[in-house]
Amino acid sequence: MKKLSVIVSAVLVAMLALSGCSSSNKSGKGPTELVVSTWGFDQDFFNKEIYAPFEKENHVKIVVESGNNADRLNKIRQGNSKVDIMYLSDYFAQQAIDEGLFEKIGSSKLTHLKELYPIAQAPLGKSYGPAYTISRLGIVYNTKSVKTPINSWKDLWKPELKGKLTLPNITSTSGPMLVDIASSHSGNTFNEDHAFNNLNELNKKVVKYYNQTSEFVNMFSQGEAAAGPMMEMYFGDIKKAEPAAKFVVPSEGAYAIQNTVNLVKGTKHKALAEKFMNWVISKEAQERSAKAKIDSPTNQTVKLTNAQASGLTYGSDAIQSLKKMDMAFVNKNLKSWTNRWNQEIH
Amino acid sequence: MKKNKAFLFLLPGLVFLFLFMIIPIVLIIRSTFSDQGQISFNGYMEFFKNKYFIQILINTLKVSLLTTLLCIVISLPVAYYIAKLHGRIKSVLIGLSVFPLLTSAIVRSFSWMIILGKKGLLNELLLNLHLIKEPLNLLYTPTSMIIGLVHLFLPLMIISLVGVMENISDDLVQAAESLGASRFVAFRKIIFPLCVPGLIIGSILVFVGSLTAYTTPALLGGKEQVISVYLYQNAMTLNDWHTASSVATIMVAVTFTIVGLMNLAANKLNSRG
Repeated sequence: MKKLSVIVSAVLVAMLALSGCSSSNKSGKGPTELVVSTWGFDQDFFNKEIYAPFEKENHVKIVVESGNNADRLNKIRQGNSKVDIMYLSDYFAQQAIDEGLFEKIGSSKLTHLKELYPIAQAPLGKSYGPAYTISRLGIVYNTKSVKTPINSWKDLWKPELKGKLTLPNITSTSGPMLVDIASSHSGNTFNEDHAFNNLNELNKKVVKYYNQTSEFVNMFSQGEAAAGPMMEMYFGDIKKAEPAAKFVVPSEGAYAIQNTVNLVKGTKHKALAEKFMNWVISKEAQERSAKAKIDSPTNQTVKLTNAQASGLTYGSDAIQSLKKMDMAFVNKNLKSWTNRWNQEIH
Repeated sequence: MKKNKAFLFLLPGLVFLFLFMIIPIVLIIRSTFSDQGQISFNGYMEFFKNKYFIQILINTLKVSLLTTLLCIVISLPVAYYIAKLHGRIKSVLIGLSVFPLLTSAIVRSFSWMIILGKKGLLNELLLNLHLIKEPLNLLYTPTSMIIGLVHLFLPLMIISLVGVMENISDDLVQAAESLGASRFVAFRKIIFPLCVPGLIIGSILVFVGSLTAYTTPALLGGKEQVISVYLYQNAMTLNDWHTASSVATIMVAVTFTIVGLMNLAANKLNSRG
């Protein structure tokens, strides 16, 4: 029995030793590491056009951690993550702010901030990061199978869409917007009960609630769904899969979805990270992303031709007409909305 | 004395399982019974009063049971056939039946989307043969979920059955036939009871697998949720780890109950164990 306990403790000691030394040999004289947490879309473009120039100029090495909004947010919630800079959509960024996970920024360091559209400068409050890109939630439909044109959010309730409709799940980024759309169907002031009654009515027409854009694209290409609310930034993929697809900005207005850059609390490279944020919103970086049709610019000094702007949410008219949801309000209600959704919508 | 030391070889595995499986599971289960530092069952009372939760629990059980039954029905003849073969053709067939396990769940689900979609292979075929006028609604229904799960878990059932069937001597069947039993009676009275251990192992693997599967139901399922998707929603998008832990505990309890019931049934079917 004695031997047994010796072996057990030896194993434990060895394991502790192994886990201890893995992180301690990193103090060489190489470039500073800046950890960027992002979605991982178009990685090649970002490596070459956004990260590489910054790395060269500042003698840093950018390390990318990728994943979807929720997964990455959960990672920093668990603490001890090494992430310095976090790309998140406004809705998830607000959750991080509410939980005190983000560092306040010195906005005076961001010299390009005033070049941004007002809506993008401080979407979640003055102390937090700007939106480097903006997209809008409109309606995408298949003009072959939906004969009468769609041009209002109210058209989602048309009987013609029975068995053809796909809606965002409540827990996805545009889920709360759907609740707002449903409320607006019966009046201008927000009313939760009306919203859920209207959603219940819509439910009969729904094929599936999508969690990811890729599911939406799939349903379109397989002919399972022919209409649904979707962000413009992904319309290119849908058009490729189904050439008869059309994106419309509903007459009541499309909803703004902004992607923000923020500093994670506890970052050891604050000055450098702010410099990176400033680079991301600079005219030069924004122009590169816009011309590659990756991200719509929020920097007003970026000028695009009509061809360059097609498929992007571009121009002050388009951006100023966007509806913006109050993310703090959404986060306060999300849990109860999700419960009601689960209880009532089926 | 020497024999006693053999168990030391188990130690590394046991330590690993204890640290990384038993402790986390115990912590998860314990956390669900506490409410602000006090022991409470309120969390669970809420669950079982919640119609929506009961609904998805029933859905999940229905899907898992149907998957298991279908796997049994499909596997029995296939496994019987394979078990009777010898040599290379046998290994080729076993290799083929294990093949679904070698592809990722995502790839497999996508291929079913292409087959079952409204513009999919199956609907095109039926439309062209004029057997149907409108495309069938298959994808994003419980049916497509079950098809995907059966495809995924069939190998487990086949392998478990081949394992026991190989050990059933041909002499037994011949003896039965020489005593006047028909082939079918011989199968029912001799082969089937002897297969029960394999059947039980296979059923447990398939059932537990389908109960906890996430990717396949999330991709092929429609509006009707299953329990693992509900757990994911709570843990990852709502960050409600308390609810997620309770769901996980309920899943563990359901699994143990069903496994217990299956063992009981096995004892009834094959009293010699």
